[in-house]
Amino acid sequence: MSIKINHLTHIYNADTIFEKTALNDVNIEIQKGEFIGLIGHTGSGKSTLIQHLNGTISPTSGEILLDGENIHKDKTKLKEVRQRVGLAFQYPEHQLFEMTVYKDVAFGPTNMKLTEQEIDKRVKEALQTVGLSETVYDKSPFELSGGQKRRVAIAGVLAMNPEILILDEPTAGLDPKGRDEILYAIKQLHKQRGITIILVSHSMEDVAKLADRLIVMEKGHIAMTGTPKEVFARVRELEKIGLAAPQISYVITELKEKGYNLPEDIYTVEEAVKALYTLLKGEE
Amino acid sequence: MIRDITIGQYYPVNSPIHNMDARVKLIITFLFILTLFFINTFLGYVFVILCMSAVIKTSKVPLKFMLKGIKGILIIILFTAFINVFMTRGEHILFEWGIFTVTIEGILIAIKMCIRIVLLVVGSSILTLTTTPIQLTDGIEYILRPFKKIGVPAHEIAMMMTIALRFIPTLLDETDKIMKAQQARGADFDSGNLFQRAKSLIPILVPLFISSFRRADELAMAMEARCYHGDENRTRMNVMVLKSSDYKAVVILAIYCIALIILRFLAARFSFIW
Amino acid sequence: MEMIKAENLSYEYIKVTETEKGTKEEKILALNHVNLSIEQGSFVAVLGHNGSGKSTFAKHINALVRPTEGVLWVNGYDTQNEELIWDIRQSAGMVFQNPDNQLVATVVEEDIAFGPENMGVPSEQIRKRVEDALNAVGMLEYKQHSPAKLSGGQKQRIAIAGVLAMKPKCIVFDEPTAMLDPVGRKDVMNTILQLNKEEGMTIVLITHYMDEAVKAEKVFVIDDGNMVLEGTPKEVFPQVETLKSYGLDVPQVTETAYELKKMGISISQDILTVEEMVGAICQLKSTI
Repeated sequence: MSIKINHLTHIYNADTIFEKTALNDVNIEIQKGEFIGLIGHTGSGKSTLIQHLNGTISPTSGEILLDGENIHKDKTKLKEVRQRVGLAFQYPEHQLFEMTVYKDVAFGPTNMKLTEQEIDKRVKEALQTVGLSETVYDKSPFELSGGQKRRVAIAGVLAMNPEILILDEPTAGLDPKGRDEILYAIKQLHKQRGITIILVSHSMEDVAKLADRLIVMEKGHIAMTGTPKEVFARVRELEKIGLAAPQISYVITELKEKGYNLPEDIYTVEEAVKALYTLLKGEE
Repeated sequence: MIRDITIGQYYPVNSPIHNMDARVKLIITFLFILTLFFINTFLGYVFVILCMSAVIKTSKVPLKFMLKGIKGILIIILFTAFINVFMTRGEHILFEWGIFTVTIEGILIAIKMCIRIVLLVVGSSILTLTTTPIQLTDGIEYILRPFKKIGVPAHEIAMMMTIALRFIPTLLDETDKIMKAQQARGADFDSGNLFQRAKSLIPILVPLFISSFRRADELAMAMEARCYHGDENRTRMNVMVLKSSDYKAVVILAIYCIALIILRFLAARFSFIW
Repeated sequence: MEMIKAENLSYEYIKVTETEKGTKEEKILALNHVNLSIEQGSFVAVLGHNGSGKSTFAKHINALVRPTEGVLWVNGYDTQNEELIWDIRQSAGMVFQNPDNQLVATVVEEDIAFGPENMGVPSEQIRKRVEDALNAVGMLEYKQHSPAKLSGGQKQRIAIAGVLAMKPKCIVFDEPTAMLDPVGRKDVMNTILQLNKEEGMTIVLITHYMDEAVKAEKVFVIDDGNMVLEGTPKEVFPQVETLKSYGLDVPQVTETAYELKKMGISISQDILTVEEMVGAICQLKSTI
């Protein structure tokens, strides 16, 4: 399923003293199966943007097309839109409420009025995808660790079989281990199911590892878009809008500024090791 | 949007009313509400409205904000008017239809009742619009202090009110977020019968309760870490001191009460019902 | 002088879990015979993954939790002594993770006054303390604001000011930046560093962000309640494999240096910052 956003503008509290333009003429196209990293600091409009994608909030002007169809054309279909575009909010574990992990994940599919077998199948698949075994099915979600809780919550969205999955800061507040588990689950999901993923994150290291394409937002509009290589090569511009590239990109940029010959598009440790090795050994 | 609900509707300007001691304002408002039930003539209400206009003018708060509160209770006002118009018996019958009788007395009482409610709401709005929530809670703590001997936990009540005010915006935001999150999982809050709707609130209420308990736990620890141990040996940054303007306000209130008594006396003396 | 000193500090609690066969009780050793000392005026970081016991340790410093075995001295006070509890909490303030759940009042300056008020500081001195504390965190212009309207980073700086107003000698930060965005994290870290450098405040920073820990003078690593590593950042971070086994990250530059060394390049291993890495590469190039 492809998403097309045309001239999307959103103004909070229009015509009052609290008026605030959160999105200003945003145009984006996302193809089926893409892995998008959405970056921007707090207040850049990224949260407002993702809530538009599944119809939780309506645009002030402009349109959102799912497979060419405006999602607000037929209000009765909004529920279907929300099922097709899954949205896992920041700290999704705060929405857990059921007595057991299994029941909580089943909440979405049950709302879709699926058969019991179908629900069972989806719950089990979703929990498996996020790397949780059968031993947790009957546990209370509140007994689990922070990282596990979050994976249960993400499974709850997954169980609705969305064609697009949006994750808002899925690693916020987790320790490195919890973070790696979540990121691994997301990566697997993209690989196995081939669904479109939009990952909202502050962490450049995280998006650098996973995304095919980055969208950088600033003050309600799109500041940059391109592959991670293209975006992180513009370290100095990113800094100007209050964002940072992965630490290693700075090393490469500074070395290049000193006149060393290095490829521009390095943003992971492995790539840096390789490039620096050639730089140092190549002439030995 | 749920966060549009305003709580603690303080209007920040600098005016003589804003600068008054919260305790004095609380007591004046309380006495003012009592006097509303003492007045029984339209002349009396005209007098009250004039006095109130003077106070509103002094407070520098736009009239629009003062009247905002009325909108919320419009239904109560209309209902009161309806009951009084139809249920009051009197001699001057205007109109009769089945069990309903409309009398001049009924209409007059209805109008008076409505004026009373409006004045009551606007009067308390003056208090909340010109006093910050924290001044209000401090004021309540001071006023309740004498009752501590008979077991009224004045400090604890004030502390609870402060914390509640502090967390209302946070919890409203949280409710908004949880609602959206459950909607994204296909929850439906708008359709079905009463029972189904009540049931659909569970996915909102459970997470909200859990997070409130977590917040309470963390806040309690943070308060302890900052040496909180009740009001024993506790000092305050803002000490409440009565200023000359507060005494003036008390004098004005006294004059106002005397004027009302005189008005009432005159009305009785000349059997004046207007 | 030592600000904090732990001798054989252990903390054990009983975890009760509900199972189908009834309630199950198990003893959990959150801290296991920990020994450490933190000098006055120093800046130390305590690292460890979630559930490693680092937060439990932090709470001990504030006497929110007391050792079940061993002793912990804070500013010379034994935390086991019930009577000293207010002295301990005045000497060692604490800033928590969630900025929302530690602010008490509806106006910034009232919130900062909360600590001094509890300590019974005379009214006329409180106002001065509040202004000084807000000034120290660069938030003076917000003193009349409502905390609800501030960003996460700003709220956290208010929380720091709230502790500063109590004039402690030491502040314990329990993952203060975990819930903040990069801008907020930077602001809070700058405030912490400034307090250490300019006011000579002893800082204990509990974190799992390595870029924050590298700024400390000393690093402690806790794993499953045991103090497993201790030393300057330059001593601790080059132990890339060991740190990873404890579920921790290392800075990207340190990891790069480690990998390059493995490939036979004689690059120094205690590289922690971008500048050091760039410097090291330039030096290697010029010696060739």
